[in-house]
Amino acid sequence: MLALIAQERAELGRRRAVSPVPTFAAWGLAWLAGFGACYLAATGLLPWLLAGLVLGVLVAVAVVVPIVRGARAASGVRGPSRQLGLMYGLSWVAGPLALSAINSGLGAGTVPWTASAMFMVGLLYLAGGMLWRDLSQYLLGLWVLLFAAISVHLGSPGNFLVLSLAGGGGMLVQAGWLALRGRR
Amino acid sequence: MTELDPVIHAQARLRVMVALCGLRPGDQLTFPRLQQLLDMTAGNLSTHLRKLEEAGYVRISKTHERRTPVTHVAVTSSGRAAFERYTDGLRALLAGQQEGEGIADR
Repeated sequence: MLALIAQERAELGRRRAVSPVPTFAAWGLAWLAGFGACYLAATGLLPWLLAGLVLGVLVAVAVVVPIVRGARAASGVRGPSRQLGLMYGLSWVAGPLALSAINSGLGAGTVPWTASAMFMVGLLYLAGGMLWRDLSQYLLGLWVLLFAAISVHLGSPGNFLVLSLAGGGGMLVQAGWLALRGRR
Repeated sequence: MTELDPVIHAQARLRVMVALCGLRPGDQLTFPRLQQLLDMTAGNLSTHLRKLEEAGYVRISKTHERRTPVTHVAVTSSGRAAFERYTDGLRALLAGQQEGEGIADR
């Protein structure tokens, strides 16, 4: 009976699509490969057009994943977590929009762009860690904030490497950790 | 040895309780969504929900959204407590069995 309960919980988790693993995996891959390609482009090993294409396509996929999963998780649910999920999801829309407007308005170069993007992502992970009471997500937020600060001192093109390895790598580690923890 | 709660100790109702207790406190599921998640027929699910409602373990609220009737189901606080008592009881039962028979396979 206990095994049945555990099995049932896992199956319901899958059907309700509440796990953030695919979202972390999609964004981790987008940052790792996308900004990795940008680094190669900045060092002259890859044409910028190709790097931009890789980043654009992977980010587009990564944007769709949490929207689709969020819609599935929210379907048929009424109550506080639906509102919480919606507010958190909209933070990921409002934050990047405001940040893009600010950085364009300031005429910021790539280093302030990438550092401020990491800063925003780090803060949103802190919020996510608090909302879902997920310590690993909170730690990922601190990790991303730390490397946002470090990236400024490395300058360009090192900043792209920080985004790729520390940012994307961190997200993939988080996805892997959550997947392992969920299987236990 | 404490008796296991007979209201929960039936596979269909246990599955309903697992689904509802997996929600965050205050959250409710629509009847069709619960039915889809559990792969149960509407008739079967209503029968078991009624038993759980009679025991005070679930709350069923019928409302209207744009004139179509919607049924929401949620676990009550006594339902959550009963589910915890049930799983604790199962664990105690298994532990007792292992001690008594020397079986340690679970």
